[in-house]
Amino acid sequence: MIETVLIYGLVNSVTLILTAIGFSLTFGLSGIANFSHGGLYILSGYSAWMMMHYIGLPFALAAVLTVIQVGILGGLIYRAVIMPVRGIVLSEVVATFAVGVAILEFFRWRGFVTYDFNLPLFIKGSIGIAGVFIDYQRLFIIGIGLMLAVILWFFTHHTRIGLALRGMAQDEYTALSLGIESDWAATLSMALGAALAAVAAIIILPLGIISINMGYDVLLLALAVTILGGLESTNGLIVGCFILGYARVITGTYLGPEWMEVIYLAAIVLVLVVKPSGLCGKSKELEERV
Amino acid sequence: MKKKAITFKFLALAILFLLMVTGCGSNDEASIDDVSTIVLGVPTALGSIEGADSLKAVELAVEEINNAGGVSVDGEKRPLEVVSIDTREHEPGLPVHDALAALEKMIVEKKPDAIVVGSFRSEVLLSAMDLIAKYKIPYICTIAMTPDFQKKVSESADYKYMFRMGLNSPYLVNYLSDTMAFINQKFDFNKVYIVTQDVLWAKGTGTGLEKWFQANGWDVVGFDSYPTGASDFSSTLGNARAGNAQVIVPIFDMPQSGILLKQARAMQVPALMAGFISPAASDSAWQTFEGEVEGLVNLVFEIGPIPLQAVPKSVEFNANYGKKYGEETLAKLSGHGPGPAYDSIYVLADAIERAGTLESEALVTALEGTDMDGVIGKIKFTNDHQVIYGLDPKETAIGAVFQWKTPGVRVPVFPEVAAEGEIELPPYIK
Repeated sequence: MIETVLIYGLVNSVTLILTAIGFSLTFGLSGIANFSHGGLYILSGYSAWMMMHYIGLPFALAAVLTVIQVGILGGLIYRAVIMPVRGIVLSEVVATFAVGVAILEFFRWRGFVTYDFNLPLFIKGSIGIAGVFIDYQRLFIIGIGLMLAVILWFFTHHTRIGLALRGMAQDEYTALSLGIESDWAATLSMALGAALAAVAAIIILPLGIISINMGYDVLLLALAVTILGGLESTNGLIVGCFILGYARVITGTYLGPEWMEVIYLAAIVLVLVVKPSGLCGKSKELEERV
Repeated sequence: MKKKAITFKFLALAILFLLMVTGCGSNDEASIDDVSTIVLGVPTALGSIEGADSLKAVELAVEEINNAGGVSVDGEKRPLEVVSIDTREHEPGLPVHDALAALEKMIVEKKPDAIVVGSFRSEVLLSAMDLIAKYKIPYICTIAMTPDFQKKVSESADYKYMFRMGLNSPYLVNYLSDTMAFINQKFDFNKVYIVTQDVLWAKGTGTGLEKWFQANGWDVVGFDSYPTGASDFSSTLGNARAGNAQVIVPIFDMPQSGILLKQARAMQVPALMAGFISPAASDSAWQTFEGEVEGLVNLVFEIGPIPLQAVPKSVEFNANYGKKYGEETLAKLSGHGPGPAYDSIYVLADAIERAGTLESEALVTALEGTDMDGVIGKIKFTNDHQVIYGLDPKETAIGAVFQWKTPGVRVPVFPEVAAEGEIELPPYIK
């Protein structure tokens, strides 16, 4: 039993990382809480499905095109919707949430409500590890999720663009004085976050079928782990995902699945009470001390 | 100059507004004053699979009846007309009063002579009963399943206008327990794991089944409930495997339950999956799940969406539905709602002809005396206005248990009188 908990706890944790990393990255780099994240995730799933079924593209090509197109859409959302209200945090949240709801309800309106929308598995079949069977798709989730986390860490810490984006997030005026244009940085961070939502959708959705309400669940999960780990901290996000991922599997196995949601909500409340900036968040630490 | 332009724009807008208002008014009047039409209202969650498919089934029946000349009311043939409104009650968090407002809007504006399909959610149905008692309109519901509906009908004559043709939850428990008895008899299985969605109807069905299992000598290895939206079932599957469960009984209508099916195969859990998984009920599920549904024993709540040779009208319904909406739409037909929705139109037409009037009191009396063969089997109402479900389509309405078999066909396996094949253990648990 412990082997099942260890292996599926890891799968759950990395799934959470994939689900939330786009949201966290955008906030960490530009301070934009992109509440259209769930909408973009579901849009990616339907978009890949439509390319395969209406145009006849192979899954791999549809997946690549989806990531590119949703990335571009993320940038456009910044230019068209967020830029006019940039700096007014509440307006940014309302505007992005409205975009997300519009995307999800558009699909509902167009009748994407049946159980027939799914993406194919990368490779069918499963393998036994320490007596526990796990399918190849979940192994892909673990591999790609961890790889993405490393690549993004490298990108934000060791590339010129990544450093510029972080500089903008840390102090916009100083960054501007060094020639880093804030709207360009925010557009790029939105595009990156949206593309990551698409990558998550392409890898996770083949496990089941695509449904509109998942978009709302994805947004809530992304918010939960980001709040737990610390809003602008990638390390915090990863720690938060592992805590919640394992907590859910341990609770489900030993207490019953009906307690899974209670545990993660309780974890969030506890962190907010004890350390409002999140496990690794720094932005409010000074205020907390004061 | 600028002032003139503003005045002109204002006048243009005012004229446009007046045109719109008068245009809307004339359309409504034409529809209401059309005395030769019998208006049937369909207030339901049209964005849900069950609601949308039920409306299509209603429209098919109406088209068939109108093509045959309409319904005879006191010697005069009158066509049927369908009006629908989306109550959106399948959407998470939609308040009951919003769904009721939609129902009342339809009643007030469209003045239906009868209502069919009706509420999607049980709590909306129970609340709608008072509204229907106020307007005194015959109402045949086919989706919401709460047994409290019958309790209310039997307790007060105010609710006599309400009838139900869809399956209710006690009948659902009966079908599943009969299936389990059948499985026990055939394979000598007696270790079961119940896993349900954490919603009232599914958990209630699971609890009813658990009692039945315990009373009938089964060992219930575990009983888990997952919140709607859950996407990992490894805890249950790991426990089922460790507890050597021979049968897993899933009861779900959320899309994510498809993950349970795929994950059970991936984790190679050697148990027969037998229960209700909504996404795996339609004919297109084999393709959707790339064959991972093989071996699953699933339930179609009311026949109609699955053609049974023992019920010729169900075969005819499938052929006509496919002809009108296309084979692809037929393959996606929901397992709950369309059969009784289609039959409800014929039941109403029959009751109107026997009553010879559209007057509610007479129509209710005529509906109570219904005794006809339909797509769902024999249709008769109990004293508390629920259609009787059983195991023989010549005696009662029936649901059907089927098993997914290679090369992607749904083989009806229970009730025995309607079975077209036998339950077999799939290759992965032999």
